Amino acid sequence: MRPFDLTAPATVETALASPGTFLAGGTTLVDLMKLNVLTPQHVLDINDLPLRGIDTSDGLRIGALERMSDIARHPGVYPVVSRALLLSASQQLRNMASIGGNLLQRTRCGYFRDVAMPCNKRGPGSGCPAVSGANRMHAVLGTSEACVATHASDVAVALVALDAEIRLVGAEGSRTVPLAEFYRLPGEHPEVENDLRPGELITEIVVPRLDWAHRSTYVKVRDRQSYEFALCSAAVALDIQDARVVDARVAVGGVATRPWRLPQVERALRGVAATEANFEAAAALAADGATPLPGNSFKVSLLKRTVVRALIEGSRS
Amino acid sequence: MTSRVDGPLKVTGRAKYGADNTFPGMAYGYVVVSTIAHGEIEAMDVAAAESAPGVLGVYSPFFPLDLRPVTTPLFGETWVPLQDKEVVYYGQPIGLVLAETYEQARDAAMTVAVSYHRRPARTSLEAGLPSAEEAPPGRDGSPSTLSVLAPGVESIEDALAASPVVVEATYRTPTQNHAAMEPHSAVAVWDDDGLTMYSGNQGTNLQVMELAGALDTDVSSVHSVNPFVGGAFGGKGRTSVAAFLAAAAAKTLDRAVKVVLSREQVFTATATRAATVQKIALGAAQDGSLIAVRHDSWCSTAMDRSFVEPTSYATSREWYATQNLAISQKMVPLNIPLTTFMRAPGEAPGSFALESAMDELAVALNMDPIELRLRNDSTAPPGKDLMWSSKHLDECFRIGAARFGWANRSPQGHTDGDWLVGVGTATAMFPAIRFPASVEVTLHADDTAAVATSGADPGTGLLTVLSLVAGESLDIAPDRVTPRLGDSALPPGGLSGGSTATASAGSAIMIAAAQVINDLVALASSPGAPFEGKEVSYADGRVLAQGQEMTFGELLRAMNLPSIAATGSSAPGEELTKHSFSSFGAQFCEVRVHKWTREVRVSRMLGVFDAGRIINDQTARSQLIGGMIWGVSAALHEGLEFEDNGRLANGDFASYLLPVNADIPDVDVHFVQYPDTLHNDVGAKGIGEIGMVGMTAAVANAIYNATGIRVRHTPITIEDLLD
Repeated sequence: MRPFDLTAPATVETALASPGTFLAGGTTLVDLMKLNVLTPQHVLDINDLPLRGIDTSDGLRIGALERMSDIARHPGVYPVVSRALLLSASQQLRNMASIGGNLLQRTRCGYFRDVAMPCNKRGPGSGCPAVSGANRMHAVLGTSEACVATHASDVAVALVALDAEIRLVGAEGSRTVPLAEFYRLPGEHPEVENDLRPGELITEIVVPRLDWAHRSTYVKVRDRQSYEFALCSAAVALDIQDARVVDARVAVGGVATRPWRLPQVERALRGVAATEANFEAAAALAADGATPLPGNSFKVSLLKRTVVRALIEGSRS
Repeated sequence: MTSRVDGPLKVTGRAKYGADNTFPGMAYGYVVVSTIAHGEIEAMDVAAAESAPGVLGVYSPFFPLDLRPVTTPLFGETWVPLQDKEVVYYGQPIGLVLAETYEQARDAAMTVAVSYHRRPARTSLEAGLPSAEEAPPGRDGSPSTLSVLAPGVESIEDALAASPVVVEATYRTPTQNHAAMEPHSAVAVWDDDGLTMYSGNQGTNLQVMELAGALDTDVSSVHSVNPFVGGAFGGKGRTSVAAFLAAAAAKTLDRAVKVVLSREQVFTATATRAATVQKIALGAAQDGSLIAVRHDSWCSTAMDRSFVEPTSYATSREWYATQNLAISQKMVPLNIPLTTFMRAPGEAPGSFALESAMDELAVALNMDPIELRLRNDSTAPPGKDLMWSSKHLDECFRIGAARFGWANRSPQGHTDGDWLVGVGTATAMFPAIRFPASVEVTLHADDTAAVATSGADPGTGLLTVLSLVAGESLDIAPDRVTPRLGDSALPPGGLSGGSTATASAGSAIMIAAAQVINDLVALASSPGAPFEGKEVSYADGRVLAQGQEMTFGELLRAMNLPSIAATGSSAPGEELTKHSFSSFGAQFCEVRVHKWTREVRVSRMLGVFDAGRIINDQTARSQLIGGMIWGVSAALHEGLEFEDNGRLANGDFASYLLPVNADIPDVDVHFVQYPDTLHNDVGAKGIGEIGMVGMTAAVANAIYNATGIRVRHTPITIEDLLD
């Protein structure tokens, strides 16, 4: 960790006017600073900003500084969101981490975290050791030759499934962006992970009202039962009437370079009977376009299986 | 039941570990490690580091601290850092930055630029198998290959060919790190009397010997203080790089120095358990009787070839009655971090292979796995005349089967909703060993007692055991006995290693206590004493004679003495010529595997152990539970991955997975208590390591029972169980 200045602006306006790196829960930023991956000179502690509140009266609105654990246990939060939060990280991290910071956690892997290694995210053009190295945890969807790291947020997968938007404020004013469009594919520039403009701040997360999303769930498959990233996860919401699927939302995590919506699976589900066989048929499309690496080819099969399981468990919820 | 005596100190943060010591004017060291696995350091640019704020010195092979290689009887040669420019593994300590604060030292260390002349690195055990070397003879002189053949049998191959049922398979286990909670750390202080070292270790006397040798000084001028250790498991037997560097730097700077390894550095700059490849062939009669056991083992070792993980020796050599036996041990030197003892060295990975193979044999014979094991229960190790001193493995299995509901097992497992459920079992064995030990027992004038020896309690419960054995031997309540460990000024004994401490120190306590009671009684009746000329006896903490009695404290006070002490020593001896000694156990496990996503969840665990007399149920149970959990960890989570260039792909706690609470169900532990007084007077055998033995195979066997999939490597992960 390098020495840095720490200030704590009291208003959004002061925060936007100050150069520096925003610190909310600190669970990603401080970790990466300890590893010398991030070396900001100025750190702005934004925890005093009035970006709070959880409102479930019309869909879901969450202030960007709300803690993951508070959102997870708030009554009326869609089950898929609550479960995704509760299966994230550890209780200690959930108590600290903000929802805005969660969405902005770095798309990363072990090589990104090790400054002794090349990484196209840290040093554009330096190369990607993961492509030929240890890549069991890496993505099979949305990858490029420059980067194959997964986006590790669980709740972002749930939010993308529910068409969430984020409100951003910057020097040039505020704007609203669909979360699914906010994240970029790595392409040739994996160092750019999203459309956040310099100095811009997430103020609020807005999930449109979707009453049937109260039948929803999040399944996270991993190497241990807590405090571990997903090998594969699936967020599912199902509108089932008279044992038929009227509508469905399906997104997956742990397998892609950004939260990954599966519209082809949703289309295949619409109108069919809510049976295990139909779920399996729809999930068979889940890995379309996957480009597995030597260490993670199992994720193609696991992805389909995870979607089937999530649909089964979602339909029972 | 007596609770763990150090428990309140630990849960309230009052237990002072090595790195908790701080001294006025103390400097802080941060270690620099290599980023290649093999080559020579051409240059180290330390200019930026030397001019960084607060920096007091930068040491490297170009500007070394004064240390020399050291050899001890137990460990052989121990490597000391900074003495040459050779790099033989990735993450090898190659420098030390000293500064006024830890942060300044760390910050400056990041600026050290190293250039290397690289050489090709050998990092793959699999690739190295064709050029494997014969392992050196074992510590007991046993050769690297050994066979015991029945009369008239020419070779193990003939014995296998003549066996009606044969199973043969290859099993693999990965490199592991001890991952103790307390990272390797050291605080070194020099004064006129020499060095005082505060650094977690498994035996202060071992550390003193190594430090004295490395510093070229006399053992009498090195004092090691080690009252609490945050986990060791074999990884703190040798003196750590942190301790060598802190000791030499403190001498050079003439200031106290603290060096703490980062967690990432612990993964490379300490030592690991070797990876293994094991080929096993079992030949049996139709009734399950073993006709032939062949167990060929290979393990990785560091380039110094200083440690071999003896998987075949530690298991097949002794475990089952068989007419014919052949074992071998080879090693593959690699550019990997040092290899060393880790909990149940040999037995842990060896039992994964042997006990998986026994399960495969049970399947091939269509026989209950417990029945197969009991069919081959032995009265002595194969080819040896010395019978087991005390063996109740059959009772462990019978009690375990009843407690676990083994009778409900189906050979094909069963389903529960979306979960496939299976059960598995395995034998556990660990040799009963003891080491020479000396212990001092003191009676104080305030009617308390003390028991002291130089060894360590790295969470094992030895402090509690000392107070209990001493209380019993002195015929007083154990809460009147203050136990002391972890100071090289105390009599040498109670080394934490080989599951030996209770048997070793306990035997010495009995001798010391008897001696101090004799001395007390003699004192009581000596001229001018309260019982002068009388026939005195001792009971219940009191001296008694003809209706007169005094507590030992009253007697000492009457004689104006603050205390009376005696030292007792014990060592293994004659018993070794009469019997073979081991602890035994039966491990049971139930797993649930998800039908779709194939996660394995351990849902029930039971271990039934025959480990002689259990001195303290609470600490013994904790030891066994911890070992059994480590067995699950080895089965499902742990394994270091080396990249081709020798870098660890998962050398931190984010990616080297250990189980979390959610992974572990309630763990049931049961003891059959048969004191083994043929082994030592206390009757205790080892419990430190056996808990881990067999459990990994029990998990793998349960997974087979649930899914029909036999996985012959660890850790077993989701992809092993997908179609």
